[in-house]
Amino acid sequence: MDARLRRINKEIADCKSDKTSNVQIELIDNSPYHLKGSFQGPEDTPYAGGQFDVDIVVPEAYPFQPVKMKFITKVYHPNISSVSGAICLDILKDAWSPIFTLKSTLISLQSLLCSPEPNDPQDAEVAKHYITSKPSFTETARYWTHIYAGGPEVSANVKSSKVPQNNAGQDEIAMAGLEKAHVDQFESLGFPRNKVIEVLKKLNYRGANVAKINEDRVVEELLK
Amino acid sequence: MSSDYEYSDEDGDYYDDELMDEDDQDSAPSEEEMDIDAFDGPIKEKRKAYQVDFITLSKQDVEKAMDENIEYITGLFGIEPEAASLLLRHFEWNKEKVTEKYIDNQSGVNAAAGVSAKTTPPRSATSGPSRSTRRTAPASSRSKKSLSVEGPFVCPICFDDTQTRTLALACSHKFCTECWMAYATNKIKSEGEFKITCMAEECNLVATDSFIQSILTTDPSTFDRYKELLVRYFVSCNRELKFCPYPECAQTVSCPAAASKFALTTIIPIVNCEEQKHKFCFACPIEDDHRPLICTVSKLWSQKCRDDSETANWIKSNTKECSKCQSTIEKDGGCNHMTCKKCKYEFCWVCMGPWSEHGTAWYSCNRYDEKDSIDARDAQSKSRASLERYLHYYNRWANHEQSAKLSMDLYAKTEKKMEEMQLTSALTWIEVQFMRKAVDEVFRCRMTLKWTYAMAYYLQKGNQKEIFEDNQRDLEKAVEDLSELLEQPIDAETIGLLRQKVTDKTVYVQKRNEKVLEDSAAGYLEGRWKWNVTVEGFD
Repeated sequence: MDARLRRINKEIADCKSDKTSNVQIELIDNSPYHLKGSFQGPEDTPYAGGQFDVDIVVPEAYPFQPVKMKFITKVYHPNISSVSGAICLDILKDAWSPIFTLKSTLISLQSLLCSPEPNDPQDAEVAKHYITSKPSFTETARYWTHIYAGGPEVSANVKSSKVPQNNAGQDEIAMAGLEKAHVDQFESLGFPRNKVIEVLKKLNYRGANVAKINEDRVVEELLK
Repeated sequence: MSSDYEYSDEDGDYYDDELMDEDDQDSAPSEEEMDIDAFDGPIKEKRKAYQVDFITLSKQDVEKAMDENIEYITGLFGIEPEAASLLLRHFEWNKEKVTEKYIDNQSGVNAAAGVSAKTTPPRSATSGPSRSTRRTAPASSRSKKSLSVEGPFVCPICFDDTQTRTLALACSHKFCTECWMAYATNKIKSEGEFKITCMAEECNLVATDSFIQSILTTDPSTFDRYKELLVRYFVSCNRELKFCPYPECAQTVSCPAAASKFALTTIIPIVNCEEQKHKFCFACPIEDDHRPLICTVSKLWSQKCRDDSETANWIKSNTKECSKCQSTIEKDGGCNHMTCKKCKYEFCWVCMGPWSEHGTAWYSCNRYDEKDSIDARDAQSKSRASLERYLHYYNRWANHEQSAKLSMDLYAKTEKKMEEMQLTSALTWIEVQFMRKAVDEVFRCRMTLKWTYAMAYYLQKGNQKEIFEDNQRDLEKAVEDLSELLEQPIDAETIGLLRQKVTDKTVYVQKRNEKVLEDSAAGYLEGRWKWNVTVEGFD
């Protein structure tokens, strides 16, 4: 049997028999080279209570080349793209070693959720948010966990500042980690709502940063 | 000017410029320079002011140089050559650094460089202290592999339990030979990596050359690639060496004169590898022969061309500047009543004058001669002047490149004709070679001309620049004359005359080219060239 297939089959079997690690692997289609991994968000983080799914592609030269992984579940995290789910982690690139397994790699992703590395970001906007106002970042990350990963509802004070929520139960403003008052303020000048959100996100109009950004600067950006 | 002068000048700069921690590179080259000085009298005479001395090294020569470094470390610390090699690679082949750090913290350096502690004890202590309490069957003091045929072994990589042949580095982490081979091949071939660490988690031990060789016995081409990667790394660590940038060429050029940054303010190290005659600049990635312009300024120019030329052309044909604040404006609607977004100035697109003078109810721009309009256009043309200036030089620069290519194409056609003539007339092969020589010369001169335009763009206005441009003009005129001759129809009756003309012109063109190159090289040494931009190394 081909060495790659033997190894993958064994890894899948190992994961199935191991009930303690909380890491699951299942096939997406019939190929053993395209898998879905999932794990629980680590406790004491904004991701706690959520379940995170990861798309796994096993390359031809596996295990001598790293597996390709990206998040299927949307995650608000400096090292994970909030759009594509791409992951910035050294062991998925040059620090890969053939001794790593799907399970150990998924556990590494889990611990990445515990310890963000905002100085080597995948998603620059999220990283900016993290650096400038951590409490606000945490709030947003928790909100995303709730909406996308089935995590617990966000605490009462967070929700109150974000009402009213739209039909889908997803509030774009909260999603972007912004204050409703700020969005309303610029929306009332006649700019479309999604444009306002986009610009405020780009300028990192959050927390203590708000005081540093001139309103004219925002308007200028909106006019572009 | 004499080449002696150039040399002594460089030597002085050389030591000034080098940093303390690069001493090692410093001492070796000066020996080599001395060698050249000592016995290469005739070469010095032959070498023109605009040329540099260099030698070509084969792969074997470079490997020999690597071995010399390894021997030095081996001799100093009494360690195995393979350990010395790993240490040197870790410290970018800096002997002094290895020595210093190794004396400082032997075990720390070993760990960082991925050298097994077992390889390092002095060779006198034959059977190294057996640190391994585990079952390392054949404890070879030579550290590398332990080929064992123990009971059922499951390779932790491929989970195969039928494999009987396993290998491990000195750390005793065993894997099957097939996995080692696949791993090493992937590292070498796909990643171009020569640092191959043990596959075990958290194990930094680096495989030695002999270990790699042993796992790649059945695949010599990958091992060759591995050795080439080592050679390339060594070359890239040494400022006096450069690998020939042409694909598939494995030669290295050594040019100590160009190793210091300061020397590059006076010389343009165009070199070529011996075997294939691939011509390239030793100091910068521009593949052209960019004489007479020094590397730093050539780089400025190339950068500018990449960034600006297309943009500049577009700006020139599609935009105008606001007459008040000089912002560049693109007209995107039909109306000529323009309002500058930035300063709110209202003007007429056609005459550039203020809109207020055009009246309001009707539009007809008949105000070309109005004073305000003239002023506005003056301001506009001033701001356009720098763009025009750039395009002037750029177009000529690009034109010479284009023409050089075309003359090569033309030659391909001429050559055929020449061959035919050789068959039909009494002319010998040697007699029809004049065309080849002429075309080569035209090509060379156009390259020079091309870069003289880049140089002229950056030269400060003044007498020196005028002299430079005079030389440039003479060369250009001569080259164009010769080019024209080359395009003339060839037939058997007139070929004698044509040959005479072409040969004469070729010699003349060659002389003009020499003149331009020699004078500019001398100019660098005498500090005659002043730039209109800040250039590193010039005041």
